[in-house]
Amino acid sequence: MAVDVNSTAGRLERTVTPVHPASWRLYGPAIRRVALPLAFVICVFAAWEVAVRISGVSSMIIVPPSAIFAVLSQHHAILMQHAIPTLAETVAGFSLASLLGITLGTLIASSERMRQAIYPNMVLFQVIPKVALAPLFIVWLGIGTPSRLAFAVFIAFFPVAVSTAAGLAGTSPAALRLCRSLTATGLQTFVNVRFPYAVPYIFAGLKVGVTMSVIGIVVGEFVTAQAGLGYIIMFASSAAETALALAAVFLLCLVGVILYGVVTLLEIAVMRKLDAPMSAGDVV
Amino acid sequence: MSITANSSGAAILDIAAPSRVRRLIRANMAVILPVATALSVLIVWQIVTVAFQIPRVILPAPSEIGAHFLTNLPALLNHARHTGLEALGAFVLATAAGATLAGLMAAFPLAREILQPNLVAFQLIPKIALAPMFIIWLGIDTPSRLAFAVFMSFFPVVISTTVGLSNTDPVSLRLCRSLAASGVQTFFQVRVPFALPYLFNGMRIASTMAIIGVVVAEFISSRAGLGFYILYSSSRMETVGIFSALLMLCIVGLVLFGAVVLAERIVRRTYLA
Repeated sequence: MAVDVNSTAGRLERTVTPVHPASWRLYGPAIRRVALPLAFVICVFAAWEVAVRISGVSSMIIVPPSAIFAVLSQHHAILMQHAIPTLAETVAGFSLASLLGITLGTLIASSERMRQAIYPNMVLFQVIPKVALAPLFIVWLGIGTPSRLAFAVFIAFFPVAVSTAAGLAGTSPAALRLCRSLTATGLQTFVNVRFPYAVPYIFAGLKVGVTMSVIGIVVGEFVTAQAGLGYIIMFASSAAETALALAAVFLLCLVGVILYGVVTLLEIAVMRKLDAPMSAGDVV
Repeated sequence: MSITANSSGAAILDIAAPSRVRRLIRANMAVILPVATALSVLIVWQIVTVAFQIPRVILPAPSEIGAHFLTNLPALLNHARHTGLEALGAFVLATAAGATLAGLMAAFPLAREILQPNLVAFQLIPKIALAPMFIIWLGIDTPSRLAFAVFMSFFPVVISTTVGLSNTDPVSLRLCRSLAASGVQTFFQVRVPFALPYLFNGMRIASTMAIIGVVVAEFISSRAGLGFYILYSSSRMETVGIFSALLMLCIVGLVLFGAVVLAERIVRRTYLA
């Protein structure tokens, strides 16, 4: 009997021991999803480093990653000084563009005729290479922050407006019928049904818009600026200081990814917030 | 009493049987409204510039832009040829490279697992910032502009096509397995046709990106092309020249975009009919 208990205990132990593979099975795919791409990036950087060192290419053409990080750590004070105006202008441009885009998108979606009148023109505008208008903004608004800001708003607000309009127009017809049969007013329908339905679309537009506003500010800085990361890139590349230019590009990528991350976090927060009252309403 | 009944009856008749013209207008509202909107914007623009005597440097009237466009048409066409050919070349290269990489990633899931997050990350970064580097690497001629435009337009094609290839209808895939179709057969006869709309979606974005890439590269360094013409005009404060070049650029952009849309229609008809 005692032996029996012992053996079951032994069996138990044996079934418990492979806890490691089990947790690997749980978290393995997630780790793998992150680790594999990351390992690839590290490999690319290592190959880049080795290739540049072995081939002995001039540092004017390409520099190894280590040199870029050396520049980043050495001149981080100056680089930060230039990164801050770029970041501030991008945030300001993006905020204005989202405000304008969501408002215009809502206006467009407010009536079928309005949508028909404006939407095709906006889609047409999406096709036009708007970057080509950068010099025009300098003619209009000078070489200061206003022209860069206006340009960033100009290229960032179209995706926001178009996807807001698409989201508002794509509300589920069943939900709208329900609203009508419950005699909800137009405003109530908009606030409680149409807008929450459009939120994922709006955020899809905002994510494109945030990338576009970085591009807008940088192109503006290319064309004319005395500060900012775009200016550093232009200045450094014309002086053949490739390491400095690539360091500025790296910082710019960082700015882009951080802003994108902020928008994504905001999306998660808003979705959560919208879900809560809706489920509470369901209960009531 | 009889009068009101009569008048309401007439009103109902009026709604029930609109004239042929009105019916035609109502049927084509989706075309008429946007065109009318665009035209009215142009008219307001014309009136405002003339009425307030806005200086030509700030904002030329549409009629002036039209006149400038027509008188300088040969020069503009010549510049458009440079920009258009480079954009077309970049677009074709980007589409070929993008579709190939997407196909490879669909064939080798491990490669997809490794590469796709990095490709998506590349979408987020402002690739335009690298334009000056391409000039350093490849000089100030066509190769650098072409390479930069390919770099700009390649990512939308890969990402969109990969999404298409991995979202094949599972029922069709099960059918393929039960019919003992080989991997290659499944790929070309089921996965690729399913992915075609996604590929064309990526190509539509790429056609715009290719032109943006060429124009930005022309801003930085070139002696011909519409980007060069825009910078040249703006340095001489000839705003009307900027607008003419923009008009030409829109035409080039729409031609390329239209070609993609047309190609999509043809391919869909032959593949899916």
